[in-house]
Amino acid sequence: MILKTALHDEHVKLGAKMVEFAGWDMPVMYTTVMDEHNATRTKAGLFDVSHMAEFRIKGPAADSFIRKMIPTKLDKIAPGKSMYSALCRDSGGVVDDIFVYMIGKNEYYMVSNAGTHEKDLSWLNEHLTAGVDIIDESSATAKLDLQGPASRGILSGIVDGSTLGRLARFGFDYFSFEGAKMMVAQSGYTGEFGYELYISNEYAPSLWGALIENGAAAGLKPAGLGARDTLRLESCLSLYGHELGDSISLIESGLKWLVSSEDEYIGKKALEKQANEGAARTIVVFEATDKGVPRDGYEVFRDSKKIGYVTSGTFSPTFRKGIGMALVESSSLSLGDTFSILIRDKHVGARVVKRPLYKYNG
Amino acid sequence: MSSIPENLKYTKDHEWIRIDEGGVGTCGITDHAQELLTDIVFVELPETNREVRKGEQVAVVESVKAVSDVYSPVSGRIIEVNAALEDSPEILNSDPYGEGWIFRIEIKAGGEIDELMDHEKYEDHVESGD
Repeated sequence: MILKTALHDEHVKLGAKMVEFAGWDMPVMYTTVMDEHNATRTKAGLFDVSHMAEFRIKGPAADSFIRKMIPTKLDKIAPGKSMYSALCRDSGGVVDDIFVYMIGKNEYYMVSNAGTHEKDLSWLNEHLTAGVDIIDESSATAKLDLQGPASRGILSGIVDGSTLGRLARFGFDYFSFEGAKMMVAQSGYTGEFGYELYISNEYAPSLWGALIENGAAAGLKPAGLGARDTLRLESCLSLYGHELGDSISLIESGLKWLVSSEDEYIGKKALEKQANEGAARTIVVFEATDKGVPRDGYEVFRDSKKIGYVTSGTFSPTFRKGIGMALVESSSLSLGDTFSILIRDKHVGARVVKRPLYKYNG
Repeated sequence: MSSIPENLKYTKDHEWIRIDEGGVGTCGITDHAQELLTDIVFVELPETNREVRKGEQVAVVESVKAVSDVYSPVSGRIIEVNAALEDSPEILNSDPYGEGWIFRIEIKAGGEIDELMDHEKYEDHVESGD
């Protein structure tokens, strides 16, 4: 069975090219990836990411439960704030990367990937303690990402603009849309200023329609998973199953900055050891110096020795060349080093560049 | 509906061939193919003088999301490639039957041409969604 989001009919009406992604029938593009990518960078893009999973974690022990589950210092956030983190294994490998929203000391909201929905839920339940309830709200919740420099103007036409204007990056608040409660967070997965909107499925088509209509004059375009991927990759935001996985430690993924908690959390021993002593592999960001498009899985070489593989690669619409991230042996490559990527039996030149390729534009 | 010129022959994999003078054919990908691929960002061309068989992979066309092989519609020897595509692959989107030609081939067996689809058959093939 293939799952459909509450906006499926809207995508079909717009003539989107649909593909299966993590068990869902999702729009990969409406026009072209390039077109939707550029619209998001310069104006605004509207993404249906309702396939993602949402868990509400409630109860008197919610706070201590979250502290046990993530390596990131929970005191970084306060009610109305959110942060990026990960669920780690004892090995330091990653069950999933997540966003944690603090509603209050006794209530958190956790957003995770569609492909890991069941795995995450089992992992959380496996470690559940007394005084915590996990409510899986995924199937009732629609998630729309409004991203790009014109986002604030567009959303202000639909919700109270002064409250919206007070939202800081990674802050979130509640708004009313047609009488329904909508959670709005100022964050995203594109490298652009923007918002992530959460609303009940039944209001999703109306919200989608209002945003498309309100955004038309500002140049908003519906954007698919294709553009979402090129946008996040230019911004060097990790994708689970690519830069992150059960057998890649969080340190290897280049997300050492997420390891900051002083609490006793799962994976602490391994992650702290690797943070201090280094890990076997590391993620590097690169750009192609020859023509060619690096893609996931392509092998990476230095001095004719295989040192790793491309975890994500694409042609960058912004930089007009091949870009990507690769998982390579630690110390095999430093910033500025050149190496090669094997593309259909040919060695194509590439160079290690600074992360991120595209700086946050907000 | 994509454009399907009457004077060309077509393959099921959406290549076209135009028969020029002296047993030479010019080949490319169809308008339908470029529409499916969308923004073409990279083209890998064959070596000239390479002998190819009908249906053999000769070039690669890549869009942001997809890699697509291009097969030779007939057997023969590659005599010329369109080097302009290396710097401007987007020509394949804007003019697939003209400036966006990919290679020219010296046709080995003229009989193979008759096995290809004419514009009407190709139109049916596109409409059938293959």
